[in-house]
Amino acid sequence: MKYLPLLWAGIWRKPGRTALILLQVAVAFALFGVLQGLKTGVEHSIAATRADILFVGPADFGGAPLPLAYIERLRSIPGVKAVSLADGLLGTYQKPTQIVYALAVEPNEAMLELNSDLFSILPKDLQALRNTRDGALITADIGRKYGWHVGDRIPLTTNTLKADGSGTWTFQIVGTVSDHETGESGLIVVNYSYLDEGRALNKGTVRNLYAVISDPRRAAEMSDTIDRVFANSSNETQTSSFRENSQQQLRSIGNLNFLIRAVVSTVLVALLFSITTMMMQTIRERTPELAVLKTVGFGDRAIFMMVVGESLLICIAAGIIGLAAASGVFPYAGKMVPGLSMPLIVVGLGLIGAVLVALISAAVPAMRAARLPVADALR
Amino acid sequence: MTNLARQFWTLLRMNLAGIPARLGLVSTIIVGVTCAVGVLVSMLAMVVGARQETLGIASPNRIVLTSVDAPSPAQSSISPDDLALIEQLPGIRRNAAGKPIVVLQAAVFIRARSRIDGTRTGFPLFGWTPGLTDYQPELRITAGRMFNPGLHELIANENCVRQYEDFEVGAKRHLHGSDWVVVGNFNLASPVCTIYGDGATILSAFGRKTYNQANLLLRSPADFVAVTRALKANPALHLKAQLQADVLAQNTQQLNGILSFVSYFLGAIMALAATIGAANSLYAIVESRRRELATLRAVGFNGAPIVASILSESILLAVPGALIGAAVAWLLFNGLLTSPLGASFHMAVTPALAMLGLAWALGIGLISGLMPAVRAASVPVTVALRAT
Repeated sequence: MKYLPLLWAGIWRKPGRTALILLQVAVAFALFGVLQGLKTGVEHSIAATRADILFVGPADFGGAPLPLAYIERLRSIPGVKAVSLADGLLGTYQKPTQIVYALAVEPNEAMLELNSDLFSILPKDLQALRNTRDGALITADIGRKYGWHVGDRIPLTTNTLKADGSGTWTFQIVGTVSDHETGESGLIVVNYSYLDEGRALNKGTVRNLYAVISDPRRAAEMSDTIDRVFANSSNETQTSSFRENSQQQLRSIGNLNFLIRAVVSTVLVALLFSITTMMMQTIRERTPELAVLKTVGFGDRAIFMMVVGESLLICIAAGIIGLAAASGVFPYAGKMVPGLSMPLIVVGLGLIGAVLVALISAAVPAMRAARLPVADALR
Repeated sequence: MTNLARQFWTLLRMNLAGIPARLGLVSTIIVGVTCAVGVLVSMLAMVVGARQETLGIASPNRIVLTSVDAPSPAQSSISPDDLALIEQLPGIRRNAAGKPIVVLQAAVFIRARSRIDGTRTGFPLFGWTPGLTDYQPELRITAGRMFNPGLHELIANENCVRQYEDFEVGAKRHLHGSDWVVVGNFNLASPVCTIYGDGATILSAFGRKTYNQANLLLRSPADFVAVTRALKANPALHLKAQLQADVLAQNTQQLNGILSFVSYFLGAIMALAATIGAANSLYAIVESRRRELATLRAVGFNGAPIVASILSESILLAVPGALIGAAVAWLLFNGLLTSPLGASFHMAVTPALAMLGLAWALGIGLISGLMPAVRAASVPVTVALRAT
């Protein structure tokens, strides 16, 4: 502890130089944090998606929706545990800018389990939705935004025409849903049966089907099996697991792995070289001071520890600044990749890296300082 | 003026002569610049490689016709009946049989599993009307044979075989209710997987009535103007003409946009770190020369030549860094096959890229040298007179 003031004085002996080293190390670790954080974060968010839920959609991009009868066919395929569906209405409330998305589902447990990543619904709300054909569950956000309350009837203007030719759908609010990711557009949950009975076109069809399979490891095989079942029909399907979909979306970043490793290593090499040289220079300039310290009784070990300590303090401080800056960038990256945040493991790795950089770069200069012959140094 | 110039030269020679004595600090500057330039040039080698391979198949004689109001070929629609009208346009080269070289092309989307991670990706399958080999004589079948019209046959370029499953000769693919056979592989430098088949067969299999674009081979690039004029004058053809190179460049715009952004972003951060490191080293060099500089001031050297000499030194020191960085990038990555963002192509380190790296290095040298140079010129004369 008694060395602390000495360490502090040593660090600020040349404030300009220390500030520049601090800045350089911070920039390097900010870069490390952004790159490594992005890579690990993407891997995490892929691993967090479910491999056991298969998304079954039309084979042609933007093709016609699938017949409702597919649900029974899907259920009969061995290995499929449960099947659920989702359709929807994109509408506006009062003004064209106030967009509301009505997610149409079957109000049952399978649907809840399937969407557990997205939202959760209390049993009483689920029961209320089941009991009210034109019922709707709203999020707290959207309720606050438009002043909606349970019991209100809300009209939505949509492009989906009803049998009478109008595109206005009215829902009765019967409860709430709590969504886990606050989206910018409002979400309400409604009954699929109400939507399908009411619409003029595409009756008896569904846009998205979901099959929960018993063995997530067989996702690719099951996807192919399902597509084969519906091959040669007028509505061919394209099946893929949630994880495969997110992998595909995020592959663009994942593919840059090699590059990230190369850049990070290059940065570290340049950094080590730079800091070592600066430390050497500092030791050279401080030779007379170090000699005086030795003369008044500081041992070789104490001198060694002092130099290493200075390097450690600077690198750890700079590492923290750099990693904090990198974490600050992540909320922006999160807009492109949902659910992305700075993984703690990367922060930990970064700090370990900072310590290693400090130790390696200080080793030679500290050794030289410790071995300084007093008589020569004082000359 | 001549006096100042002479002072500058003397000082610069002194600076450079002192390099061996300050090898550690000097090599820090060089290593920093090497890393920054190396990373920038290596990353941009992807952008250049992708562009070269995309435009490698472009020829100024080839033009593309699409619907007037279509923002991209995907939204464009050309009826097979229009082929006869398009063939009457002026300036079109004729094949050995004397027929104008015009091929209609339709793009439909199919999916395939990646060999690397098993995920499925979608990409276009192009259906052509007869005449593909007249239009693209450089297309070379490397395995198997050409597809036959009227049959469910495909050919895929080597990029597909490399990246995706089931594109080797003989592989069967199930598309829209029927089995298709890959009968050949072809060599056509393109950063993306490209699959060809017979146009009429593909249109009927995918339930389509129209093609997306018409490809024309002109007698000479100058005929482009004649075609444009003829199209404007012909109300029966609601089409516009573009150079093939422009259409291809649009296709890879997104890929190159992302890669360029990442390259310059990383390059800029690396350059920032290198600049800080170099500035620190230069400060230390100036620091160690305080008495020498003060003495020079005392014997009549001016501030301006001192500033200029230190700046020149730092810029000169950046040059070897840039050359080493570009050379390392060339050694490691030139011609290397890379597959970022679903594309696959060979990276290219060109002289132009090396020059760009050099420009960045000079920038790093200039900026890092500014403050230390001013510091050097402002060393008070009294420092020289004081004893240590």
